[in-house]
Amino acid sequence: MSTLIEKHIVSLLAERDDKAIALLYDHYGDTLYGVAYKVVRDEDLAQDVLQESFIKIWKKADSYDPSKAKLFTWLFRIIRNTAIDKLRSVNNKSDKEVQIDVSDVYNLGVSGIRPEFMDVQDNLEKIEPKYKIVLEALFFEGMTQQEASEELEIPLGTIKSRLKIGLRELGKIYGTSIAILLFIILLP
Amino acid sequence: MKEKVKIFLDSDVLEKYLLGDTSKEESLKAERYITMYPEVRKTYDELQENLETFAKMYARKTPEGLKEIILHSAKKGQMESKKFFRYAIAASVAIMIFAGSSFFFWNQNKNLQVENDFVTTQIKYLEENMKNQLEDVRNQFIVLNNPDTKKYALSGKKEAKELKAVAYINPVKKLSYINVSNVPNLPENKCFQMWAEVNGELVNLGVIKQFDDKDKLLALPYAENAIGYITIEPKGGNTSPTVQNIVANINY
Repeated sequence: MSTLIEKHIVSLLAERDDKAIALLYDHYGDTLYGVAYKVVRDEDLAQDVLQESFIKIWKKADSYDPSKAKLFTWLFRIIRNTAIDKLRSVNNKSDKEVQIDVSDVYNLGVSGIRPEFMDVQDNLEKIEPKYKIVLEALFFEGMTQQEASEELEIPLGTIKSRLKIGLRELGKIYGTSIAILLFIILLP
Repeated sequence: MKEKVKIFLDSDVLEKYLLGDTSKEESLKAERYITMYPEVRKTYDELQENLETFAKMYARKTPEGLKEIILHSAKKGQMESKKFFRYAIAASVAIMIFAGSSFFFWNQNKNLQVENDFVTTQIKYLEENMKNQLEDVRNQFIVLNNPDTKKYALSGKKEAKELKAVAYINPVKKLSYINVSNVPNLPENKCFQMWAEVNGELVNLGVIKQFDDKDKLLALPYAENAIGYITIEPKGGNTSPTVQNIVANINY
């Protein structure tokens, strides 16, 4: 399912029309920033990741193939890989960067309770923690399934099934919201 | 469902492909399966939808001003330091402050220059004025100190009995001065005016102001056997003396 705006952005990207960047930022900026933040857990680093990713997105705009992936999937891969690379390069640097944890605590206090993301937070809580922890490890921490299995001390087979079921749970949540939406629209 | 499709779906290749974690061979395999088998395509599409849903749950408000930096850097194709922007902002603020203060000082300087010119002119004027006054005083002193100078004490009559004046006449140098030392109070609309009769004509010597002129010597035009008068005239002075209001006369 691709929206009209998505199609529009895709065609602008193909034409290398730089309006695409602004549209991408408006449409996906918050989500991509959230993904970057989830991986690096630092506001400043996340902003650098977002900037670096947009440079890559614009450079690779020609190489995007809509038949191979949805626009968001393509964007997600870029931001996730950039963020994971960033985190690795930072962790390889000196101990000075350990202060990430400090700003993490601070930032959670400020942004954790933004009302516009409250419903999203609610949805997150609907996913059972055992699935969420696997999804987060695989999606945001750049772990392979093997690594996640070792890190979380969960057998590899369970990791695989929780990934599949977890993603299906998402489908359920998504499905519910669509149902609610339809219900609202169809109200006399 | 074909056995190998089931095996493929049971493996984690499709999930890894979704995240972009596959090797080249795995990617090619995933793409081949997606193209060839509708059930794989369907699963892949579902995974993509779910990924987007999941990622959106972590959405976070981007900070103000980041959009401009990102649009700019993406078009330029290189990273732009947020610090650089901060410095740029700081620098432009500093420039504005500098420009503002420069203008302020320039303006101040201009005003001071104008004031300076004014003060200089004033000093010049005062200097000249002082020179003239000194010259006058010196002349008066010469006259007063001259052995030939005679002093005449005058008193007023009629309603100006309190009027006291001293006249200094030097017939050798042909100079004469008068010093009106005490002027009686007159009604608001009246004033004292001095006159001198020189060769049969009355010359206006001016109005005596109440207080300012107390210790000032007034030069009188000199003539042989001239007569000086003081009259009471309407305020502001008169063009010719009112004879019946003569309160003092000086023969010299």
